[in-house]
Amino acid sequence: MDHSSVRLDGARKSFASPEGTLVTALAGIDLSVKPSEFLTLLGPSGCGKTTLLHAISGFVELDAGRIFIDGEDMTHRPPNKRPVNTVFQSYALFPHMSVGDNVGYALDIARVARPERNARVGAALEMVGLGGLEKRLPRQLSGGQQQRVALARAIVARPKLLLLDEPLSALDRKLRQAMQIELKTLQHELGIAFVFVTHDQEEALTMSDRIAVLNGGEIQQLASPGEVYNRPANGFVASFIGASNLFTGSGSGSGAETIVRTSAGLTVHARMALPSSGPVTALIRPEQFALAPDTGTHGLSELPVSIDQVVFMGMVFEIHGRTDDGQKVVATLPASQQSRIAEAEGRRRAVLTYDPASVHLFPAVSEAA
Amino acid sequence: MFRHLGTKALLAFTVLFFAFIYVPIALIVIYSFNSDPVNMMRWSGFTLDWYRQILGLRNAASEAALYIETTEQLLAAVKNSFIVAFSTTALSTVLGTSAAIALYRHPFAAQRFYRVLLFVPMLMPDIVLGIALLIFFVGIGGQLGLGTIITGQTTFLTSYVFIVVSARLAGMDRSLEQASADLGASEWTTFRRILIPQLMPGIMGGALLAFIISMDDLVITYFISGTNTQTLPIYIFGMLRRGIKPEVNALAVMMLVFSFAIAFAGLYLRNRKR
Repeated sequence: MDHSSVRLDGARKSFASPEGTLVTALAGIDLSVKPSEFLTLLGPSGCGKTTLLHAISGFVELDAGRIFIDGEDMTHRPPNKRPVNTVFQSYALFPHMSVGDNVGYALDIARVARPERNARVGAALEMVGLGGLEKRLPRQLSGGQQQRVALARAIVARPKLLLLDEPLSALDRKLRQAMQIELKTLQHELGIAFVFVTHDQEEALTMSDRIAVLNGGEIQQLASPGEVYNRPANGFVASFIGASNLFTGSGSGSGAETIVRTSAGLTVHARMALPSSGPVTALIRPEQFALAPDTGTHGLSELPVSIDQVVFMGMVFEIHGRTDDGQKVVATLPASQQSRIAEAEGRRRAVLTYDPASVHLFPAVSEAA
Repeated sequence: MFRHLGTKALLAFTVLFFAFIYVPIALIVIYSFNSDPVNMMRWSGFTLDWYRQILGLRNAASEAALYIETTEQLLAAVKNSFIVAFSTTALSTVLGTSAAIALYRHPFAAQRFYRVLLFVPMLMPDIVLGIALLIFFVGIGGQLGLGTIITGQTTFLTSYVFIVVSARLAGMDRSLEQASADLGASEWTTFRRILIPQLMPGIMGGALLAFIISMDDLVITYFISGTNTQTLPIYIFGMLRRGIKPEVNALAVMMLVFSFAIAFAGLYLRNRKR
C-alpha cells in the first residue's frame, strides 16, 4: 500500500544550542523516497540534512512526526532494530578488527552461520573491488580502500535502504569522481534506495535521481538535478546550486513574455509567464551568455557590462563584469571565442546576449522570510 | 661560534641531568654485590650474600645480622604488598573505568564538578590524605590493617585510572559506537565488542600505573596500616632507620627488576595486540 522506501511525515526536531536557545534542525519535513531511488539531501552545514539522515537511521529521535521504512512505522525503533545501514563520513571502521570482521560484524550479530557469513563477506568485498583483503587491518588500507570497506560493511546485511553521510568528502578529487560513478553503479546492482547527504552541489548533480535542497530545516525544492539546476524554486536554490546571475525587480508582461525591471532600471527579458504577483527574480546562468558585437544600440535580450576580470579556466573563459548600475555579472564563454574575448577585454567592455527562453523566473522572497 | 658553544653546553647539561638520575641507581646495583659489610663505598669483592640473606638462604653470623629483621617478616611484607597492589588495582580499575565511561556516555550538568571531585585526591598532599584517612578509619571504629590500606589506596588510585581512561575516551571516534548500533548491535554488544577493546590500552595503562603506585606507596599506607601490618615500603623504611645495611641495596635492586618486568610486560602486551 505504501510504495516508498522511506517516508517522513511532518518530521520535527529542535536542539538546545550551547547558548540555551532552541535551534530548529527539522521544521516539519515531509519526504518520500521511492524504492531504488538515489536521493540526495543537499544543503549548507546546519541545514538539517545530517539530522534528517540520523532521524532515518534512528540516532535522532523526532520531537514530532512519523517515519516509515518500507511501509512499517519506525518512529520509535532504536537504531539497531532498523533495516537500514549507514556509511559514515569518518568511515567508522573498527580499528581493532580485520577488514573481514568489520564487514562481517552485522552478520555475526545476526548469528549467520559461518560458511554463509564468510561467503557473503567475500561477495560484498568483491562488489566494492576489494576481494581477498579480509585479513588486513583497516589502518593498512588507503583512504579510498577504507571507504570501500565501509561500503561493503553497510551493504552486506542487505538493508532496505542505504544511508550515506558525506562519504566522499575525505577523498581527493580524482578518487571522488571515480567513486561517484561506482556508487551509482552499485546502487543499480543492489536495487535499493540510497539516501546520500552532501554539501557538494556538483556531487549531487552527478549522482542523484532526485535532489532535496535543504535550508533552515526545510526542503526548499525536491526535484531532478536538471529541474533544480534549470528551474530553481527560489533564490536560495538558485544561488546554492551553480553560479548564478540574479536580477530582482518588478515583472510585467503578457502571456509567455515577461520583462523584469530592476530598481536600478536594468531590464531582463524572459520567455516565461510571471510566476506570481509581486517582485520576481530572473535567473541567467553564466553559460547562457554569449558575446555580441557592440553596435552601440542594445536590444531587449542584451546586457552591456564593463569587464573587471577575465579568467582562463581551461575549457572556458570566465568573465567577471558589472552592469552600468554596478550589479556583478559572471559569464562563461567557450575557449574557442578567445580572440573576441581578448578584444573585449582590451576595450574593458562587452555586450552579453542571452536567449530569453533560457531565463528562469521565480518569486522573489526577501532573505529574512 | 656561540651557537657551537651553546650546543656543547646543552650536551653537557643533558649528560649531567641523566647522570644525576641514573648514577645513584647504578651505585645501588653495584653496592648490592659488594662483599664489604661495613663500608659499601669500599669495594672488597663480588658477593651474592645479601641476596641470599634476604631470601633466607643464608643466615649470616656477622655483626650486621644483629640488626636484620627476619626473612619471615620480609616475606610477610612482600606478601602484604602484593595483596594490596592486586586488590587496589582491580578495584580502582573497575571504578575508574566505570566513572570515565559513565561521564562520556551521559554528560550531565554537574559533570565538571564531578570531574574535579575525581581529580582532587591526586592533588591532595599524601600526608594530608594519610591523616584524614587515619582519623576517618579510627573514627568509624575500623580495625587498621590490610582492609584499611586497600580501601585507602583505592580512593586515590581510582583518580589515576579515571584520568588515563578518560584521555583514551576523549580521543575515541564516537561514530564507532553509532556504526555498531547501525549494524544491529545491542548496547551490551557494542560495549563488549567495540568500546572495551578500544579502551583496552587506556585501561591497561591505568591499571599498571595503579599497581606501581600501590606497590611503593609509603606515606599514606604508613598512616593507615596499623601496628601489625607491614607492606614492603614500610618494611624497608624500618630497616633504614637502623642504618643503611647492604641488604637494603639488594632489596632495592630486586624491586627495581620487578618494576621493570611489570612495565615491560605491559608494553609487550600492548604492542602484541596492535
